[in-house]
Amino acid sequence: MSRRARERRLGPAGLMGAGVVAGFVLLAVAGPALAPYRVTELAGDPLEGPSLHHLFGTNSVGQDLTSQLLAGARASLVIALLAGGGTLLLGALVGAVAGWRGGATDSAVMRVVDVVLVLPPIPLMVVLGASIDPGLVGLSAIIVLVSWPVYARLVRAAVLPLRRRADIRAAVGFGASTGQVLRTHVLPDVGLVLIAGLISAVERAIAIEAGLAFLGLVNPTRASWGSIMRDALDFRGLFLTDSWRWWLLPPVAAVALLLVGLALVGTSVERRLDPRLARHQPVGVDG
Amino acid sequence: MGPLPTPSRRARRLLAHYGLTVAAVVVLVFALPRAMPGDPLAFLRADNPESVDPAVLHDLQAYYGLDRPLVGQLGHFLARLGHGDLGISIGRRVPVRDLLQAHLPWTLLLIGASLALSSVLSYLLGCAAGWRRGRPLDRLVVMASSAVRPIPTYALASLLLLGGAVTGRLLPLGGARTPFAHYASPFAEIADVARHLVLPVTALASALVASQVLLVRNTMVSTLGQDYMVLARAKGLPLRLLQHRHAGRNALLPFVTSVGLQAGFLVGGAVFVETVFSYPGMGTLVLRAVASRDYPVLEATFLALALVVLTLNLFVDLLYGRLDPRARTG
Repeated sequence: MSRRARERRLGPAGLMGAGVVAGFVLLAVAGPALAPYRVTELAGDPLEGPSLHHLFGTNSVGQDLTSQLLAGARASLVIALLAGGGTLLLGALVGAVAGWRGGATDSAVMRVVDVVLVLPPIPLMVVLGASIDPGLVGLSAIIVLVSWPVYARLVRAAVLPLRRRADIRAAVGFGASTGQVLRTHVLPDVGLVLIAGLISAVERAIAIEAGLAFLGLVNPTRASWGSIMRDALDFRGLFLTDSWRWWLLPPVAAVALLLVGLALVGTSVERRLDPRLARHQPVGVDG
Repeated sequence: MGPLPTPSRRARRLLAHYGLTVAAVVVLVFALPRAMPGDPLAFLRADNPESVDPAVLHDLQAYYGLDRPLVGQLGHFLARLGHGDLGISIGRRVPVRDLLQAHLPWTLLLIGASLALSSVLSYLLGCAAGWRRGRPLDRLVVMASSAVRPIPTYALASLLLLGGAVTGRLLPLGGARTPFAHYASPFAEIADVARHLVLPVTALASALVASQVLLVRNTMVSTLGQDYMVLARAKGLPLRLLQHRHAGRNALLPFVTSVGLQAGFLVGGAVFVETVFSYPGMGTLVLRAVASRDYPVLEATFLALALVVLTLNLFVDLLYGRLDPRARTG
């Protein structure tokens, strides 16, 4: 196997994680076709156990939990794309500009980054989210607004040493275009950092969306894994019957499984990024 | 400026940094509702336009200083804040300050207990795992922390709640003390509060340990190859001394830094854990305030929790100076 091909390999744990993630993506994409009922529809009796009609039973008002779980997967996918992608995009842009320009731009940007990083993210997002309609687009905007500094710092640290590197200075000196420098010298080095950052931003965004829904920041017409958990916990008799088995456990398992899967992929990318970092996790502030 | 004794210079720089950040937080709390679309008092009219007396509306605007220009509003806001006046809860019609006074101590208790427990556990487990790299204990620590770390705190806490409920309720599943209990002695009261703390602290502390233990372990591994370790070993010092005095103290430094970096995560985790176990701290306050979009309460909780995080960071910075002599002169 060539060196390149070996570098592209994820390893068994990473592949397992990728499989889990792919499974959730499939469920999210196929969700509307698979879901037997609408999320808010009263589809059966209250607290029906799992059956052929309701694979994951019903909640205390008789809504079908299979449909809600599928909608939750879809919400996570949308958030992963909008909020996770947006966070990395903004963070990478700001970080790259700060790291490349250096000097006053850099110190001004990093001062802002330092202030935002020290604010507790969840309470801040709750304050911001309470005054808007918490649809997926609005939530994504808030998640991006609060999360980008983490990734700005990451990308800045990767870009900063590039300015002094001999091959890049030589390329610039020989009149290479900016695009060419980026393509042949910068991206191969920063590319993996960006991929690792993207996975981490997606993890963070999914955890936060479900977390904010868990705190009640959710549009009542849509479902999220967090809102299913919240409904179950708010139901007084949850533990009087077996209903927790099909009501509380599946959304908890879903969010945990998806995030562990993503983390497995992320860890194997990071390990390739720097073999010395094997299994070392950077300090994160994800919800 | 002349050559000043360095510790005071460091302390002054720290103070300036934190002063600036606190100012930024206060301005943010002031600016947030004003930057948001809509009129802060619109909710009064939205439900029932006729029901609001224009005179009442005018009084409310005057109370919140909304009838003044922006700079005047900031002055008004700061003056009220200086008197500890955080406004009135929209949902419950009591001063927000009273709500904070009732809820904040429980959160501080939960955070303090979790941080103390998780720090001791992370340090001991991380040192032991790094010291015996590749052995079964090390593998277990690495695997368990990698599996638990990505799981959000609310999911972790829900699982613990499930476990507690299913195993026959040996421990209380909610609240901070037994309702309507009469305690025979102060010790009985402390024991009751401690029993109610067990599950919430377990949830928050395991999330913290999962994210910190690897850091201690990895620093430990990298110190083992250092020259001073070889020398200490060659001197024939007892292993226990070597592990904790030589390697451990160095493994402590990045760990202490990470506690500061994770203060925000810690506070968010406490909010989630409290809402799972109905613990009467800031989380429960936030949960109720979100349900009724009780903006003054949400603003005040953000302000209070941001100050908790900043205080924790300041404490970590001061501690770092004590632990690492190099930082004092830097």
